Amino acid sequence: MVRVSRIETLEGALRRANRLVALALGVALVGTVLFVLIDVIGRKTGWGSLGGSDEISGYVMAAVASWGLSCALLDRAHVRIDLIRQKLNATGQGLMDIFAMIVTNGVVLLIAYQCWPVLQKTIERGSRANTPLETPLWIPQGIWFAGWAWFALSATALSLIGIAFFARGKRAHLANTIGLGSELDQ
Amino acid sequence: MIWTVAASLLGLMALSIPVGIVLFILGIGVGEFYSAFPLLRGLGQVVWSSSSSSTLIAVPLFVLLGEILVRGGVAARTYAALDKWLSWLPGGLIHANIATATMFSATSGSSVATAATVATVAMPQAEKLKYDPKLFSGAIAAGGTLGILIPPSINLIVYGFLTETSIPQLFSAGLVPGILMALAFVVVTALICKARPALGGPSRSFTWGERLRSLVQLVPIIILFVVVIGSIYAGWATPTESAAIGVVIAALIAVTLGNGLGLATIGEALHGTIRISAMIMLVIAGAYFLNFAMTSAGLGRALTEMLENTGLSPLGTLLVVVLLYLVLGFFIETLSLMVATIPIIVPIIAGLGYDKVWFGVLMIVLIEMALITPPVGLNLFVVQSARAKGSMNEVILGVIPFVLVMLCMVALLIAVPGLALWLPSIL
Repeated sequence: MVRVSRIETLEGALRRANRLVALALGVALVGTVLFVLIDVIGRKTGWGSLGGSDEISGYVMAAVASWGLSCALLDRAHVRIDLIRQKLNATGQGLMDIFAMIVTNGVVLLIAYQCWPVLQKTIERGSRANTPLETPLWIPQGIWFAGWAWFALSATALSLIGIAFFARGKRAHLANTIGLGSELDQ
Repeated sequence: MIWTVAASLLGLMALSIPVGIVLFILGIGVGEFYSAFPLLRGLGQVVWSSSSSSTLIAVPLFVLLGEILVRGGVAARTYAALDKWLSWLPGGLIHANIATATMFSATSGSSVATAATVATVAMPQAEKLKYDPKLFSGAIAAGGTLGILIPPSINLIVYGFLTETSIPQLFSAGLVPGILMALAFVVVTALICKARPALGGPSRSFTWGERLRSLVQLVPIIILFVVVIGSIYAGWATPTESAAIGVVIAALIAVTLGNGLGLATIGEALHGTIRISAMIMLVIAGAYFLNFAMTSAGLGRALTEMLENTGLSPLGTLLVVVLLYLVLGFFIETLSLMVATIPIIVPIIAGLGYDKVWFGVLMIVLIEMALITPPVGLNLFVVQSARAKGSMNEVILGVIPFVLVMLCMVALLIAVPGLALWLPSIL
């Protein structure tokens, strides 16, 4: 049997890792803001545009939309409807949380698995973006795929952590890890 | 197919599975049961193309803009300034609630953050000045909803992206109805307080000197709004570019007129932005895949059959749709409700010959109602949590007049589509 403190350590590590991911994404977002701004100023003043700000911001978006998913998962920010769940007692709620977590986990694993061929084909063909920058597509797609893989990994870890907490009757821990988050906590 | 998908959508959501995941499950299900060829193989490509979008990056940028203003303490100061201008009206401070919420949601597009901030700064005042807690808190909850209609609105960007509708057009279509509704909120509050003065607090007046001094707080916010919206309307900048410019102006305002931006505040704002944006993106990616699956599986044919079989007139169908949103709005949170229903509802509406830009605005008003109708009205919870005492029922009673205003707006939009479509037509 794994001790509760060990599970908590694992959960804490996952949480810290995702906090770092969120910070890195945030910095990338600020970088995008500056890049777009310089592009607009350059265009309006006639100094000439750097070009490619559209393309680059699309790649940043893809990174936010994949790596960010696990940050939101750890913060319990993915929207769930609390219609039936709120009528149940603590055990029932815990079971629903675990059910929702496992379903999420399965779907995310499937999506991550289906995302791989996209990157694989790009690498095989050495595809480049059909733009002046001619970005080798494996770079943005690699970052994007890694984000989904990280989401799948985080979801699997959270499922296991949730089950372990439930098995030991740690209801409060369970609710804090995979329960229903509220926007009011933030 | 349409009915099965709609029923499974509600069933799976009731099981408290995250909404974005539900949409993926439905998309996979449609591919397995209704499509002649395997759609699952397209999943990865659809997820990639739905997220690597330079249009959508406007969403995190506008979220960031709002986070900076709210966490940088700008909202609280704006509230104090608006109070000086508006508190002579019957209902006093309540108008400052509505105006602050309108102004902030107009610049940031996040209803919940706005309602939370206004509630935190306004509630202590309400107690001190002996306002009726019902109307007072109701006005905060209702005012906050305006943010998703008055541009720049994150919800309108998402609608435009998923329905392939022009975002600048949607923005201009939302402006007139949004401002009209804010004015209607103010008028209704004043009328109620005129009829029953006990509901409003003491009438206070400030000198013109005080008012003019408070302009220091107000003018920068107005400039921010004009630059962000004006640059889009003038064709000067794309929504993404105007959002980036807005972020920089917001940061300047927070540094010069707010509490400043320390590293801790910036960290919180960035973390909050990523959390909210990723939450939105999962739902969008799911809806995009469901969209793709339903279209590939012959949605067009299924729709035509359904419309022929129901025997309802276009207006009849539209009213059924409106009713559907009213009912679903009681139970489902706003953005999820919008994104989850777009793949099913918008093709029906467009098939009937209605304008997609116009329906986007109508849908937003319906969704706004969902924010303040129990039991799952997000803004109700936000306002209630900022109150030290009293029950949730007081907030619920307080929003009733505002919900009625929204219902009138829905009727008005259906009767006079030009209300939304006039501005985009002249720009």
